[in-house]
Amino acid sequence: MLSIKDTKSQKLEKALSEQLQKELDTAPVNEDELFVLADYDETAAEKTGYSNYSYWRSTLQVFFKNRVAVFLLIVLGALLLFTFLQPLLPGQYPANLINNHPQTGKQLSNIAPSFTTQLVTAPAGTQLNAEAVKGNDGWYTVDNVLKSLKARDKFTVIEYGEEWCKVEFKKVTGYVKNNFQTKLKLPDDPTAVPYESRSNFPLKLYMQPVDYTNDGTALYVEASHLELGEDGIAVTVDDAPLRILPSEHAFWFGTNNIGQDLWSRVWSGTRTSLLIGFIVAFVEAVVGILVGVLWGYVRKLDRLLTEVYNVIDNIPNTIILILISYILKPGFKTLVFAMCLTGWLGMARFIRNQIVIIRDRDYNLASRCLGTGTGRIILKNLLPYLVSVITLRMALSIPGAIGNEVFITYIGLGLPVDLPSLGNLINEGRKLITSAALRYQLIFPAIVLSIVTISFYIIGNAFADAADPKNHV
Amino acid sequence: MLKYSLKRLASSLITLLIIITVVFVLLRQMPIEGYFDNFEKADAATIQAKLNQLGLNDPIPVQLWNFLKNLFHGDLGTSARYSVGAPITDLIAKKAPVSIKLGVMSMALSLMMGIPLGTAMARSKGKFWDKFGTVYIVFINAVPAAVYYIFIQMYGTSALNISMLFDEAKPVTWILPVFSMSLGSTASYAMWLRRYMVDELNKDYVRLARAKGVSSKKIMMSHVFRNAFVPMIQYIPTSLLYTISGSIYIESLYSIPGMGGLLVDVIGRQDNPMVQAIVMIYSCIGIVGLLLGDLLMGMIDPRISFVKKEGAR
Repeated sequence: MLSIKDTKSQKLEKALSEQLQKELDTAPVNEDELFVLADYDETAAEKTGYSNYSYWRSTLQVFFKNRVAVFLLIVLGALLLFTFLQPLLPGQYPANLINNHPQTGKQLSNIAPSFTTQLVTAPAGTQLNAEAVKGNDGWYTVDNVLKSLKARDKFTVIEYGEEWCKVEFKKVTGYVKNNFQTKLKLPDDPTAVPYESRSNFPLKLYMQPVDYTNDGTALYVEASHLELGEDGIAVTVDDAPLRILPSEHAFWFGTNNIGQDLWSRVWSGTRTSLLIGFIVAFVEAVVGILVGVLWGYVRKLDRLLTEVYNVIDNIPNTIILILISYILKPGFKTLVFAMCLTGWLGMARFIRNQIVIIRDRDYNLASRCLGTGTGRIILKNLLPYLVSVITLRMALSIPGAIGNEVFITYIGLGLPVDLPSLGNLINEGRKLITSAALRYQLIFPAIVLSIVTISFYIIGNAFADAADPKNHV
Repeated sequence: MLKYSLKRLASSLITLLIIITVVFVLLRQMPIEGYFDNFEKADAATIQAKLNQLGLNDPIPVQLWNFLKNLFHGDLGTSARYSVGAPITDLIAKKAPVSIKLGVMSMALSLMMGIPLGTAMARSKGKFWDKFGTVYIVFINAVPAAVYYIFIQMYGTSALNISMLFDEAKPVTWILPVFSMSLGSTASYAMWLRRYMVDELNKDYVRLARAKGVSSKKIMMSHVFRNAFVPMIQYIPTSLLYTISGSIYIESLYSIPGMGGLLVDVIGRQDNPMVQAIVMIYSCIGIVGLLLGDLLMGMIDPRISFVKKEGAR
């Protein structure tokens, strides 16, 4: 080997010096020119036996040619960055905060997703009952309810409409709703006013034929939109946005059934799920590489580890997951432990098979004959070959871990609800699919989860393709 | 071949024994509440009496030996919470047929969908079917099954205008569970078949056949497909594993009275003997599936021998 290398370098040296000699002979010698730095010339460099091929540069070059993968990498990067920045942004609700209505104290449950807290707009000149919000300057609670009628209170209809009826009740004129919820008792010809009427349900008498309340509770508006009169009556000065909360920070993804903000729960859940994914992938890599290298390189261990592998591999993964999470106390640590317990198997087998293939190649034989230590052979000669396999397995184990988390949560052994994860958000949302209006509680976490898992899967595959030297130019 | 089969069978039996032991020992570490239907109300003496009666105060090796002896007679113990005192074998015998029917149907459906899809993908490399299949495979592999199962249930039932729950008497309610369960295996069949067929297409004998002027349809069907299908056979029993984990979701989603739904149910009720029995049965199915796969491969490909498995040199 050495002698071949020597003759080759001698040949190269000779060719170079001959060429130099030729140039010296032909060109007129200019002393100054000879000492000017030459520019880098690729072909000239290759003549000396140097190639500018770099494994990592070629890998990245091939990877960046895959447009879909690059696009998903950007999406995933932005998403990752955002999940960690989200709690620091202004106006975010904490993920576990139960939002109550400031006036009634009831939970703001199942509010539909919206980019604004505004419920309706009251045009300029609308009369409203207004009252300043205590402890929250600049905000007023408003509604347009004149009176509350008890069930079976009698009133006189003085103008009939399909949706609103103008009525008189105890000398106050106002409007009541006429729909399937109020079920007004009406005569055969309801347009022949006036007549007496009643409802079997409590009614509200409104100032205008519009409902400026949030299902019976007051709405909120900033003071600048109101011109206050006496008796707590105010008139809007412009198109006033009436809001469900004394705040402009909306529930972008709506709220869940106990009034927690789904937007911050989704991002907090993504953080938890990604954290689980990264921990599992890391442990899988470390244990998998360690076991795989021992299994492949140490011949005495081969038989034993193969038997152990066959036993563990024969049990369905999901069953091990279920068993471990059933026996231990449910929680974050249990979940991560259960997933780590099975995850390393695949990685170890991959590494072992690769090492068995390359461990007896000539360069390793030579290395061993020269007295290189086992550790150095493994680190310097074997592992660099496995980079693509390892990164691929790690990239794929993240969506795998997220999926397992969903599965374990689904069968009721997952994380507690006060630690939101994509798994338990989806599981919470699943219970509501019978009601079409509440499906957003399933759809939002499912979309985020799909983006994350698909991105990892495609990026991992694209990177493995790129890391394969066969695909390099 | 016989020697290989016997050895493979023996190793499966040993694996089974190890798994039963491990599951048994692990479940003995559970809190004892899982053996009582009224633990909160019972006093200490009753609890001790019950534990003695169940033999739970014996040392674990004795318990294990008794369990194995009973298992040999087909006795898995009695349920503690789910249906107090009922023999587990009876409970499972009632639930298993539905699960088996669903599983077999979904496996058949996945073969019927996966093989045409894989063939179409290999034939139209880079065209519509290939792209469609790739998107489908990536989606199924990347997105957790629970998510698309729920969406299929949600939109499928409203599209077919049927109730969300399963009703054994109505055949139309079988469609969605069977379809959802087959999706995972379909993707894996299509993926592997495409890969093997593309490998096969690049071989010299195909080029020769083409040079001879054999029609490309005939090349596909009588050369490429036949050769590519042989290694596919090992995936058929392995898809049992997919079907098992699928059945756990699907059966509880659609309230199907099967074993997967039963497992979720007894886990919720912390019924230790039932969990133990079902987990053991599922591991058993897994082992049998892999055993069948290996035996089938051994039958088809006589080069495989027990010693040289796992790509050893």
